[in-house]
Amino acid sequence: MIIGVLTFIIMFSNTLSAEKFLVSDIPIQEGGRIKPLDSFARNQSLAFYGKRKIKHDNLSAMDWLLNLFTHPEKGLDQKVFNLRNPEVVNALDLAWTNNFHKYSYNELFPGIEKQLPLIREIFEKKEAERDVFETQLVEVYQNVMKFREIVSSLSCLLPLFSVYDPALATSLHIEPGQLISYAHVMSHRASLFETSQGIITKPESEWSLSEREIALLLYNLQQTSSDEFAKALKIIPPSKNDSSGLWLSPWELFDGRLIEPHQDKIIKSLEAYLLARFENNIENQNTALRSYKAGLLSHIGKKVDFSILSKERWLNKADLFTNSLVFYLLAFILLGLSWMLKPVILRNIAFGSIILGFCLHAFGIYLRMVIMSRPPISTLYETVIFVGFVIVLISLIIEYLRKDGLGIFIGSISGSMLHYVAFGYAADGDTLEMLVAVLNSNFWLATHVTTIILGYGTSLMAGLIGHIYLIEKIRVPNDTARLKSIYNNMFGVTLIALFFTLFGTILGGIWADQSWGRFWGWDPKENGALLIVLWQLMMVHMRISGLAKPDKFALGMVLNNIVVIMAWFGVNLLSIGLHSYGFASGIAVNLVLFTFFEIITGFGTYYWARSRNKLSIRTKNI
Amino acid sequence: MLNKIIKLFSSPKLFVYSLVWLMILVVVGTVSQRDIGLYASQQIYFSSYFFFIGPIPFPGGRIVLALMLVNLVSMMFKQNLWKMKKIGVVIVHLGGVMLLVGAGMTAIFSSEGSMVIEEGSKSNTVDDYNITELAIIDISDVNYDQYFVFGQPLFKNGNNLMHENLDFDITILDYMDNATLEQLKGSSGIQFKGMLKNFMLKRIKRDKDDMKNRPGIIYQISGSFSNTDGIYGLIFGQSVPATIKVEGRQYVMSLQKKKTYLPFAIELEDFKKVMHPGTDVAKSYSSKINLIENNVPRPILIEMNKPLRHEGYTFYQASFIENPSGEEATVLAAVKNYGRLFPYVSSIIMSIGLLLHMLVSMPNLFKKN
Repeated sequence: MIIGVLTFIIMFSNTLSAEKFLVSDIPIQEGGRIKPLDSFARNQSLAFYGKRKIKHDNLSAMDWLLNLFTHPEKGLDQKVFNLRNPEVVNALDLAWTNNFHKYSYNELFPGIEKQLPLIREIFEKKEAERDVFETQLVEVYQNVMKFREIVSSLSCLLPLFSVYDPALATSLHIEPGQLISYAHVMSHRASLFETSQGIITKPESEWSLSEREIALLLYNLQQTSSDEFAKALKIIPPSKNDSSGLWLSPWELFDGRLIEPHQDKIIKSLEAYLLARFENNIENQNTALRSYKAGLLSHIGKKVDFSILSKERWLNKADLFTNSLVFYLLAFILLGLSWMLKPVILRNIAFGSIILGFCLHAFGIYLRMVIMSRPPISTLYETVIFVGFVIVLISLIIEYLRKDGLGIFIGSISGSMLHYVAFGYAADGDTLEMLVAVLNSNFWLATHVTTIILGYGTSLMAGLIGHIYLIEKIRVPNDTARLKSIYNNMFGVTLIALFFTLFGTILGGIWADQSWGRFWGWDPKENGALLIVLWQLMMVHMRISGLAKPDKFALGMVLNNIVVIMAWFGVNLLSIGLHSYGFASGIAVNLVLFTFFEIITGFGTYYWARSRNKLSIRTKNI
Repeated sequence: MLNKIIKLFSSPKLFVYSLVWLMILVVVGTVSQRDIGLYASQQIYFSSYFFFIGPIPFPGGRIVLALMLVNLVSMMFKQNLWKMKKIGVVIVHLGGVMLLVGAGMTAIFSSEGSMVIEEGSKSNTVDDYNITELAIIDISDVNYDQYFVFGQPLFKNGNNLMHENLDFDITILDYMDNATLEQLKGSSGIQFKGMLKNFMLKRIKRDKDDMKNRPGIIYQISGSFSNTDGIYGLIFGQSVPATIKVEGRQYVMSLQKKKTYLPFAIELEDFKKVMHPGTDVAKSYSSKINLIENNVPRPILIEMNKPLRHEGYTFYQASFIENPSGEEATVLAAVKNYGRLFPYVSSIIMSIGLLLHMLVSMPNLFKKN
């Protein structure tokens, strides 16, 4: 059934590429790769506003961005900067109580200008030495500057100039009085500059009416060209002779270089699109976009993959992991109801719901792989998503074998929790990032990291079954058959976990041997992975040697969760070593809370279960 | 009696206790890296037989791993192990033995260091990462230099370094893991020579980053029966070489990382760094080199994750140095490791064993209710 749903979704996704070219599909180079403008807009909105859409204006990120281009003045007054630190707000001479701490560019800029000496000082410090206030002030400064750049990045395409002199209008290929853009004037600049030569030599009092108009136009052009710095929007494919692979922003085209036909076509289509959008003319917008795509296609160099762009745009919109979370939660609620009301039917619906959630989950991972053309796990965010995937997968198998709701319980709880944790990481910015050199060898990344993450997932799962075992031991201490089967499942999952963590850790050593020339370097991340292996080896041998009876084994696997979480997230707190691939502040608090939770619930249920055990033995004796 | 010993050493309980101690070592050794750096922590907790807290010795990583190896090997002599049902278990433990043997070989026999080569030049020496040596080079002869090299283990205070072809003796006065030069206000006593006339070497705290440590040494030269006798100092990486003259012969003295001489040379033709377009994230590094052996050059490309293996040595693209003027130098890590195949083989064996064991036991563990 799962395979059937998956193939259906994959086939469905292939039809996506046949769709028409949307404005959100416009390719842009950011963070080292080509992505749809939609992703760019969402990333910016996330950076400035803290969310992937502008909520208080009920605008999608894409509409917000396009409005910035067509109505820059309005954009500067829009309250899109989310400041979370009252200290920073005070430093910028603003009131903290203002409107959910949202501020506009025009509100922030005077304060920033005043604090420039301080900001310059902070920049001279190393990042690790900056305190929270300094880090956030610099962040606000960078955001404000970036915003200013984005706002102006298409001003060369806006119809800002008009010419009433018939001769001048003809030389610029327009009707008198028609509004034209900087780009349009620049593409006919030869004739304009020819006529302007005569003006410069004459004193201002002798200028004719048409000469005055030319002078004014030149002055206005000069004014607009102060936006030249705005190069944030790298949407123009490079010239065919370029070897750097760097895309260009519209403003860069007007620095006197030769504009190639494909670049010209793209610029003109974009100009037409912005005009049509300004006039709210849907038909013209579509024509402009068709022409934009034609411009991209006429580019001789590396071709843009439109199907990937539309897949990524679709993925942005579909928000598969959120939807998958909804199904997991639904499964959990249905399972709860099935315990209270009608067991079988509700449990089957819950099973269907978790399968649906799982398919969305899997499809999301698959699409990310296709978009990035790399294995599914390379950032901390992706490890969380993948661990959730592994746990739900094994839960589904367990549920299929047992048919008593245990699998649904484990899968829905851990699936939802891990999705929730992942959202925390997604808030840090673009989750589809390029990789640094040493991680950029697909084979080792695929094998080592995937295995170790499978190990994390199965280990956590064994821990969760450990919890369940201890709770069941309290609830039904005399149902030995049920306890025995849960214990067996737990031991089975532990063996699988041991296999993956052991093999994954050795593979990590082999990867290190391939890349750095040593198999093992006692690096924190390596040690973390090793600790999990050692702990599980200890549990398995305690079981063999009789040091651990089932209760203690369950407790051991619960505590193993702490080891796993420490190796997974805690190592990044040490911020040393080769593997620290992501540092998240605030994570320390969560780790401590988790550790306390596991210790208290683990030992609590363990001793409670033991006292129940004694009680039941005593009653038997009586 | 023999059975009793085997029983004691092959007990899974012994394994459990060793594991517990190893876990403690791993945790302490990881956390302490924050303060003392990776190399120092590795030396104290993992690459040691014993370490001391106060006067009390505790077993270090090598002892624990050796004990685990003994434990594993003695387990092989257990009678009830050799059954068809336990075939997976046996194979896993054989793989474990191999892994530990390989680790032992690596720990004892492997050596690693780095080579820094500028574009257009060549090198045939590998500098050790950590161990230093004192080199006295006789440069009087036009045709060849004569090297007298004393290794770091000899740098104990009061130790005399002598060589029959050397016309003077050296006494170590002080050796510092990390030192700095401090300019003196006046001049020092007449017994101080060379750099020490105007500077003093001062011991400073070891840096966490081992690359930042600059070892220093203070030593006395005697027996030259001339004005040369006196106290000298050297610091790693000093820009002006220290020279002395004894009985008409000219010597250069240098404190350097221990050098290993290769039977071949490596010439760097071109170093290349490729970035992800429009970012400062590196996509790949590579060095185009010539491997020169018996004056025959062979062009080779060393890339990240694609090292060069030659005559037991492996050369990795480790890092690079870029001058403001645009000149580039590659940094290659050079490793000689006789145990490097063990993990490969043992991981395969252990995986097969665990898989077999799971195949045998899983049907029981996941029986339908």
